Amino acid sequence: MNVAPAVQQAAWSAIQALQGLSGIVAVVVASADGFDIASAVTRNVDAARVAAMASSISAIGTVVAQEGGLSRCRQITVGTADGFVHVSTVSRHDGEFVLNVIADTGAVLAQVVYSAAEQVRALEAA
Amino acid sequence: MKEYKILFSGTPGAGKTTAIAAISETPVVSTDVVNTDEGLKKATTTVGLDYGSITLDGGDRVRLFGTPGQGRFDFMWPILARDALGLVILIDNSRPDPLADLEIYLEGFAAELEQMPCVVGVGRHETHPEPGIDAFGDRLHARGLVLPVLPADVRQRADVLMLIDVLLSQVEAGMVEDTP
Repeated sequence: MNVAPAVQQAAWSAIQALQGLSGIVAVVVASADGFDIASAVTRNVDAARVAAMASSISAIGTVVAQEGGLSRCRQITVGTADGFVHVSTVSRHDGEFVLNVIADTGAVLAQVVYSAAEQVRALEAA
Repeated sequence: MKEYKILFSGTPGAGKTTAIAAISETPVVSTDVVNTDEGLKKATTTVGLDYGSITLDGGDRVRLFGTPGQGRFDFMWPILARDALGLVILIDNSRPDPLADLEIYLEGFAAELEQMPCVVGVGRHETHPEPGIDAFGDRLHARGLVLPVLPADVRQRADVLMLIDVLLSQVEAGMVEDTP
């Protein structure tokens, strides 16, 4: 897929910023249809697969929000005993993207949510 | 009243979303997004699931689920197949190698197909008659499977209902065979 250079650059900036937080296992920026456009992983995580899964989660979040009469799905968090997955949607004039963060127990959820929201704004403005 | 769950899977562009929309009585829940894969000649693609429902003549209700077609979403296939009564595999006969396409879904649903009734619908058969229906039957037979294979235009409600009728006939036949 063709991604605007500005988006690609913003995606790498987002990854660098989020990787600076403690407990981050993987950061994947994907297209809405599930292609990995930028990623960094620290464990045996398949970024291409995570990209596809993040796309599905985001799409299901969107239809659930619509069904509930709510506005656009902005983020979804999957909590586990060993950490969490935080998926944020990125809405640009030239396409939709998904920012996916996988973190272990060393991460602070509020910090990741705050930082991810900042990176979403940067991706949308790029 | 009974409730059934039927799953539609198959190649991208074969018409899974279209098939469900053709017969659903309720607005179809669709997770289609803009397609950026230049190898696929379609504007949008399903990345999560499709959902619709239909009531049969006897009052039984069928919940219709559709999978994403592309292999990178194969993690959704077993999730959506859970507790399904039957599987409809849709093949687009205008693609380069429809028999190889069929193999992907037979492999992807191999565990389910040990128990689950299945019917194969071959789309665009009228404009792309090769491979013929018999070739699909032969390919299934080579894997030890005997499944109905039908040409189907999933834009036509009657064709989709035919696929479901054939599937439910298999279910009923299985129930009779299971009766001691």
